[in-house]
Amino acid sequence: MLKDVTLGQYFPGDTVIHRLDPRTKILMVIIYIAALFNAESWISYGVVLIFLAAAIAISEIRLTAMLKGLKPIVFIVVLTSLLNLFYASGDIIAQWWIFKITREGIKAAILMAARLIMLVMGTFMLTYTTSPIMLTYGLELLLNPLKKIKVPVHELAMMMSMALRLIPTLIEETDKIMSAQKARGAEFDTGNLIQKAKAMLPILVPLFLSSFRRADELATAMEARCYHGGENRTRLNVLKMTRRDMIALILGVLVLAGVIVLARFGL
Amino acid sequence: MNEPILKIENLTHVYSPNTPFEMTALHDVNIEIRKGEILGIIGHTGSGKSTLIQHLNALIKPTSGRILLDGRDINESKSSIKEARSRVGLVFQYPEYQLFEETVYKDIAFGPKNMKLTPEEIDGRVREAAGFVGVEEALLERSPFDLSGGQKRRVAIAGVIAMMPEVLVLDEPMAGLDPGGCEEIMENILAYHDKTGAAVVVVTHSMEEAARRADRMIVLNHGMVAMSGTPEEIFTHGGELRRMGLATPVMTDLADELCKLGVKLPGTVYTVEQMAAALMELERGRAHA
Repeated sequence: MLKDVTLGQYFPGDTVIHRLDPRTKILMVIIYIAALFNAESWISYGVVLIFLAAAIAISEIRLTAMLKGLKPIVFIVVLTSLLNLFYASGDIIAQWWIFKITREGIKAAILMAARLIMLVMGTFMLTYTTSPIMLTYGLELLLNPLKKIKVPVHELAMMMSMALRLIPTLIEETDKIMSAQKARGAEFDTGNLIQKAKAMLPILVPLFLSSFRRADELATAMEARCYHGGENRTRLNVLKMTRRDMIALILGVLVLAGVIVLARFGL
Repeated sequence: MNEPILKIENLTHVYSPNTPFEMTALHDVNIEIRKGEILGIIGHTGSGKSTLIQHLNALIKPTSGRILLDGRDINESKSSIKEARSRVGLVFQYPEYQLFEETVYKDIAFGPKNMKLTPEEIDGRVREAAGFVGVEEALLERSPFDLSGGQKRRVAIAGVIAMMPEVLVLDEPMAGLDPGGCEEIMENILAYHDKTGAAVVVVTHSMEEAARRADRMIVLNHGMVAMSGTPEEIFTHGGELRRMGLATPVMTDLADELCKLGVKLPGTVYTVEQMAAALMELERGRAHA
């Protein structure tokens, strides 16, 4: 049951998009979001949509996986569309009590829903095609300039990749402890709020303990292998921007520029 | 032969059905667990052992098939699930990681308390369970986290024994302990079995310990029952076991090697004692000839 939770899921593959430098992909997502928020008309939305659809097609990520990820935001999408539908002013098409539907309202509702869905799908493209390790490495390199103002970029990236690595492990562990306590007659779904909170104790205490134990063991293992932070640390696989990345970035910038220009002309 | 207490009928379990991650962990498994017997379940990693035992007290529901406790389907209702949880005690792998109370006493009392027993009954159960696993009175008021690894494991097992289950199921109870610790845990479990007449199911991937005291053994392979019978019957198929990736007892290996060299030992051999007896018999036979 708990295992069904997907967090920053990664679908391994060997497409051009998978092979892009993680830095490129992070920058592309930023460019993509900027374009999406500058888009105002059907045409500019269309341009961004073609860009997204092409990326999905190339990445060979199945559409069902994409749609499944959208489930959690369905409520937000519906709510914002409804608000947009009823609160826009313009040509009234239908009217009932205090609700009125306008032509502009319909357009705004559809575009707002599209914007949210495309926003989430675009960011999925990053996490679905980039392994967590590559993602944090890319982030670390992008944030490197911040080291000048004493931001511990390497340490933050290391912590992030460890957290990502340990989430599934902890979920599995929680599952196991829950089963063990259930076997001893514990019940988690009965009683009032206080009883339910109390029932969590037999899970939380062992979980905390095992997290501390894991952290301790991990720290020892890292020290045993002479880890002492980012200073002078080198990589086995150093990331290199290639032609591929340049082409992708230029393409992204062109789309963004196109959308901005379209907006200028009121399209 | 004793009558069965737990009956597993045509049990099939599929994880994440209808997804790309679909996996059949158990396929049409039929097992009987009889009153008061010691049953060893052996199988390679991923053979479905853990999935199987979690069905025994309704922690997971079968995809198809039934588990009958005294003839009643344990997944029938909420009350039957509750009954199964208290009558079938399940000790998970590394049970010491589930300890959580301030004192050893309170931790052992967790199960009986959930069974809504009276304070006197709980007290009796805790002391009795502690006695079975050799946890002294003095330790009862200590924090479970101050104990040694072996002691923690025994306290955790006591926590299940305190519920006085009629079927005690243990998943790899000896994993990660030194030989002395293994011996002790095995003795504790046998003490509970001998004193209460409860059925004991020990799941393991190492044969030696299970074989020594098991009345019957079941070999799981790829989610199916590959073999079942007495340890003697099982170990006559040494080659097959090895093909399933299971380590046969050292003495069985030795007997097989001797056989290849033309020394035929009488009967099936899987413990040092049996090996000694078999060799003695062989020697005596030679002396007579």
